[in-house]
Amino acid sequence: MTAVVDVEQAGAPAPAAPPAPRRPHRRWARVVRFRWLLVMLLPGIAYFVLFRIWPMWGAQIAFKNYVPFLGIQGSEWVGWEHFADFFSNPDFPRLLGNTLILAALSLFVAFPLTIVLALLLNEVRLSVLKRTVQTLVYIPHFLSWTVVVSLTALLFAIGTGPLSSFLDGLTGTETNYLADPDWFRPLILLQTVWKSTGWGTIIFLAALASVDQEQYEAAVIDGAGRWQRTWHITLPAIRPTIIVMLILQTGEILNTGFEQIYLMSNALNRTVADVFDTYVYFTGIQQGAYSYSTAVGLSKAIVGLVLIFGTNWLAKRFNQQGIF
Amino acid sequence: MRTRRLAPLALLAVGSLALAACGSGGSGDGDGGGGGEALDSLSIMAPYFSTTPPEDDDPVGAKLEEVAGLGLDMQWVPNAEYGDRTNVVLAGDDIPDVMVIQQKSQGFVQTAEAGGFWDLTEYLASGDYPNLVTENPEVQEASSVNGTVYGVYRARDVVRTSLTIRKDWLKNLGLEEPTNTDELMALAKAFTEDDPDGNGKDDTYGMIIPAWGASIGTGSPYDAIEAWFGAGNVWKDDGGQLIPSFTTPEWKQALDYEKQLIANGYVNKDYATMDGSTQWNEPFLNGKGGIIIDVQSRATQLAGLFKDKDPKTYDQYVALQGNIAGPNGDFALPTPGYSGFLAVPKASVQTEDQLKQVLTALDKLSSKDAQILENNGIEGDNFTVDGGFADFDESKQEYTDLVSGSWAQIGTNVAGYEAYKPKPDTEYDAELEQERVDLQATDLEKAVFNPGAALVSETYMSNGVQLDQVIADARIQYISGQIDEAGLDAAIKQWGASGGDAVTAEMNELYGQLG
Repeated sequence: MTAVVDVEQAGAPAPAAPPAPRRPHRRWARVVRFRWLLVMLLPGIAYFVLFRIWPMWGAQIAFKNYVPFLGIQGSEWVGWEHFADFFSNPDFPRLLGNTLILAALSLFVAFPLTIVLALLLNEVRLSVLKRTVQTLVYIPHFLSWTVVVSLTALLFAIGTGPLSSFLDGLTGTETNYLADPDWFRPLILLQTVWKSTGWGTIIFLAALASVDQEQYEAAVIDGAGRWQRTWHITLPAIRPTIIVMLILQTGEILNTGFEQIYLMSNALNRTVADVFDTYVYFTGIQQGAYSYSTAVGLSKAIVGLVLIFGTNWLAKRFNQQGIF
Repeated sequence: MRTRRLAPLALLAVGSLALAACGSGGSGDGDGGGGGEALDSLSIMAPYFSTTPPEDDDPVGAKLEEVAGLGLDMQWVPNAEYGDRTNVVLAGDDIPDVMVIQQKSQGFVQTAEAGGFWDLTEYLASGDYPNLVTENPEVQEASSVNGTVYGVYRARDVVRTSLTIRKDWLKNLGLEEPTNTDELMALAKAFTEDDPDGNGKDDTYGMIIPAWGASIGTGSPYDAIEAWFGAGNVWKDDGGQLIPSFTTPEWKQALDYEKQLIANGYVNKDYATMDGSTQWNEPFLNGKGGIIIDVQSRATQLAGLFKDKDPKTYDQYVALQGNIAGPNGDFALPTPGYSGFLAVPKASVQTEDQLKQVLTALDKLSSKDAQILENNGIEGDNFTVDGGFADFDESKQEYTDLVSGSWAQIGTNVAGYEAYKPKPDTEYDAELEQERVDLQATDLEKAVFNPGAALVSETYMSNGVQLDQVIADARIQYISGQIDEAGLDAAIKQWGASGGDAVTAEMNELYGQLG
């Protein structure tokens, strides 16, 4: 308890005080004063050092012919060989294309749908209804991909699945939705939307709750309709949230859901289903090509980094708001 | 005052977490004893097929420890993830004394060639370990890496490929078991179109084919048909040169046959997605499909499932047929004769004395007593011996399944299988078993072995999985009608360009050296 009191007492005047002339003992005084906050920071730092930074030491095997028995130090250094192999591999353009298309689908279709759903929920005035719907759309988030894929397999099984039979009835032809390459991306998108849209609304709903209600009242008096209110008040008000979420999503762009894609892929749709993550799994874990798969993973990480900086830069250019 | 005293404690807690994490990365000698003193127990990593692995105090385990004269520290891994785990364990620090290696993956071969596994060639040939001396030198050769034996292979039946057919449907339609591929096609057609179950509805099809992994030469129904057509077994010796089986004209002929089966609707529609491990039996049991190309034990298994449904009539449903003739001759697809091998990593077994200790233990674990424990269980508990057969106690079936699904996996039986065979319950069971044995003898004579089984090409080692996948995917795309012959040729060309040509060249070089 004393610690909390300590922090509150120390914390209160700090933001208000104008920056004093820099004096070394001042800094130490701050460290001493905020010592408990700093101590509380340690587990977080420890986490990042142990699980994020320390493992990067091992990334150097991408530049070696790593043989576990010889150890990281003892393995032969081959430089960029594995990267050259990968970029000249006919698989590379296909993997990149598949990864980017799936990522684009989730960014440009699934992500806006989250905002739309949040706006719709926000317009619901009946509290009971709103809460019920919210709970229902959150549920899929808690199902594992294995369950979602099994459900899909049951619903779309050729000849026997209720949804595939229904669609076959509409089109008049029998399609194997689970194996047809043309249906792979729609199915993946459908699963993603079903599973994650509801959960994704949480942050937007929080942002929507903080929109100034007086603006709506003023707009109503001025004769603004529901569309105009949404377009001119609601959306601009949650724009910062949208931008932050968009940048965070872009960072995840290349992590295209390994589990989901791995479970949904089969011999007939693999041309469109292979992505970086499944490729790393096949080559690294199943085949034991440690160095090569590390090189692939590292390339993926670099592309992801470029994308996140790019989006942030664009966001700053257009809105003067980035996340860093 | 109290809070001030807590601060160093908090720091200590965080710090020790960091130390613990670093510490586990540092030591590398597992339980093997770094100094070279005698091992006090043997750690073995092995796959299991049973629903759960054996408990630590499992009675078979305890008896095996007595036989081996050494404590056993088993590391059971579910079979489905065994390959993944092998590569992860090889890259880690906690390496067991003995590992079952299921496939010559890049991770294994590179480690072995760098000296990470003991070369057992001389030790096994020395005769010091009589139960580890192979009765089939060709199989031992096939399990080697370019002639170097890194493990004691786990022996398997050489002939397993067979046709399992709905016996009652044959009878209803007045048809015989097929003896060649044309008759098989006709049978698949009849099972699809002629209402074999006599219910007046068009609700049956011929052949049941599940989805197969993106690999070639792994005993799939497709591989079997291709072998029957004379395409060889993964590699084909063509005038002293090795050529990949999928570059032969026979292979394409077989693919057209497979394509015809599917295009005519003689195969289940979900052949590209059906889960073979859980759903393969169902259409056969429920009277949807009537032909399965798989291992012989599929027939025994199905007969057992029919027996569970109705013990009185179960002998009416399952007919077993072996490999059948193709248009280009009479060939049979054999297995490699082994399923992985027990290898000894040097990271944990560091001195020759320790190795000898391990080999002595493995020798004892392959003795007759040990084989009975591993394959049958505990005599007087879950089975009794009756006329040279094991008569299993039905009330202890669960334990019998546990034993055969786990302990049997560390058995090698390289010097011959000496455990008891299960006692057939009925005359039909005995007949089916006899048919199996007969087919194994007749099919062995026409078996086409993989001439490149022992050879490990360097390019294949680094690219093999992707290369195999190119062909396996092109095959199924062609069969399904997704690509035409030009597309198939393009895939084979792509295979050559992305490393396949190098693989062929390297294989032939090795073939010349060993042959």
